Amino acid sequence: MRSELNEIRLIDQYLLRQLPAAEAHAFEARLLCNGPLAERVEAQRTAHRLVRLYARKEERRRFDAIFRRLQAEPAFAHQLKTIFA
Amino acid sequence: MPTHNDHHLTALYRDSFPDFARLVHRRGGSLEEAKDCFHDALLIYLEKESAGTLHLHSSPKGYLLGIARVCWLRTRAGGPVLPLPENFSETPDPEDEDGQEREETLLRSLQKTGKKCLDLLKAFYYDHSSLQDIAEKFGFNGRRSATVQKHKCLEKVRAEIKTELCAAN
Repeated sequence: MRSELNEIRLIDQYLLRQLPAAEAHAFEARLLCNGPLAERVEAQRTAHRLVRLYARKEERRRFDAIFRRLQAEPAFAHQLKTIFA
Repeated sequence: MPTHNDHHLTALYRDSFPDFARLVHRRGGSLEEAKDCFHDALLIYLEKESAGTLHLHSSPKGYLLGIARVCWLRTRAGGPVLPLPENFSETPDPEDEDGQEREETLLRSLQKTGKKCLDLLKAFYYDHSSLQDIAEKFGFNGRRSATVQKHKCLEKVRAEIKTELCAAN
């Protein structure tokens, strides 16, 4: 694996708290004196957040689809109609 | 999510939602409001289950209705909405509206240029799918190939984030 990908893996291990404590501390020390690396770590943290944002949107779409399917079931639709009548 | 296919989720939805909708209606809420809170509760339930942090003291239905009720009460009281769990990497959502809007814009852009990458990253980080399953689902030649693709996707997303942030500043 090329070095950029190795670095991505290392940053992932750091963000996911998979590094042993000593290695995590050493990595944090590197961040303090390596601005570009610190920027890449922050970008990767944001990437994780965007993946979570995307995943939650997809999940909500799945829930909406389930609701629509249930609304097509007469018994379920009738229950809701009765509640909100 | 790997442990909850649509069939099980549909059964849980069918069994639980009318009870919650009844509660919301009694307190003057609408069907849409009930659905929003119920979907938040489902997200929390599934994320906790997927992360192995779901500790049920009652049935799945009881747990789900409990979270949905808290969500509803908070929304009605005008308080903060129910915080969703930080399910990986402990990366809290941005608190300021500008930050949230920026990330929504970024996501829209990423969805246009690299939906497959987002799906792959979702499978790994959010659904906790194994690399073998990811390889099969996305047509890669085994675990190693899936690992390399995952890192390349992360690199691509990261590069786009840096470009967007530079353009914004």
